[in-house]
Amino acid sequence: MKPGLRYLLAFVAAAAIGHVGTIVVAPNAIMHLAMRKLSEDGKLINAFRFSDRTTSASRWVVRPSPDLAYASCVYDLSKGPILVDVPATPGGGYVSVSVFAGNTDNVAAMDSLRSPNGIRFILQKERRLVHPGDGPVIYTPTTRGIILDRRLAPTQAAFEIADKARRSDSCAPL
Amino acid sequence: MPASGSKSVFKLAGIVTLGLVAGVASAYVSMKHFGMGSEERMGWSGSRVTGSSEAGPLLRARVALTGLLALNRSQAIYFTRKVDDLGEPLREGCHYRLSGGPLPGRWWSITAYAADDYLPQNTDDALSVDASEVRPDGAGAWEAEAGPVRNPAMPWLSTRKAGNFDLTLRIYNPSEQAQRDFGTIAFPRVERISCGEPQ
Repeated sequence: MKPGLRYLLAFVAAAAIGHVGTIVVAPNAIMHLAMRKLSEDGKLINAFRFSDRTTSASRWVVRPSPDLAYASCVYDLSKGPILVDVPATPGGGYVSVSVFAGNTDNVAAMDSLRSPNGIRFILQKERRLVHPGDGPVIYTPTTRGIILDRRLAPTQAAFEIADKARRSDSCAPL
Repeated sequence: MPASGSKSVFKLAGIVTLGLVAGVASAYVSMKHFGMGSEERMGWSGSRVTGSSEAGPLLRARVALTGLLALNRSQAIYFTRKVDDLGEPLREGCHYRLSGGPLPGRWWSITAYAADDYLPQNTDDALSVDASEVRPDGAGAWEAEAGPVRNPAMPWLSTRKAGNFDLTLRIYNPSEQAQRDFGTIAFPRVERISCGEPQ
């Protein structure tokens, strides 16, 4: 084989590996970075963290919505399932709770339309025995991931009401 | 190893490294700009698989890069556009009229994002316009304005310090029909009013 052709093939093969490898690795790598940021470098695991009202300075996630009050819990199910409890916002303000696996999949979404009195569930790793407990069980394919509580809060007054309610959020081992 | 063989190995290693860098760069461009599996309607593009486990590898990677932790479609559907109704890029120096009718959900908002996928770096406290700000007429028609300077007659979305920006429309708790078929949604129009001088 001519050296020129050999180098060309090597370049094309390396570019293909770099391209596919980046696309495959990116979701887990970006989620890993997000979990590290939201858990404050691993200090806040299985506990909710409450973000300030979104402003132009907000940098914790790309494309943040300025209309929502966010609370996040980085979960770790390596020691067993956790119980997630998210109370309603007084006055019926919209609340949405999403569970994301470590590969970015949104494995569950619940809201105050279906659960007006608050959202409560057990989060369990797939293929593990269901832990005894009350309420529904949600299964996630990864040991670690993120739970996000979003409450509609387009004004400062609405944000203050939502903020007070979300302070009672919990995501703790059973 | 003879000197010529050693030189050849170094050359090959350099070419492989260049290839890897080119592959990573092309993946980044793909993730940033292509492969969203999106549908475009009236200038707005959105994907019905954002945030779901139905997403393929490229869409998953793109969501991770530009829309991490997005709600799934039963909770919200997202649409983005980078151009006005005439196909011109949205620019900070221009004023745009946003107008539309009822949208198929419990609530909606339109937000501007700068090219880095974050909110514009201004302190105007007008980062979005939403369903509670606009004043629909009897037929549900509403208007708002996006631009670097407030028009006191209209709900305002500030694009000051946004550079070349895009708009994201979020429809929360969309109707099942809207989730299934984006073609049933009467999307807002984005008309350029003027560029350069503030209104």
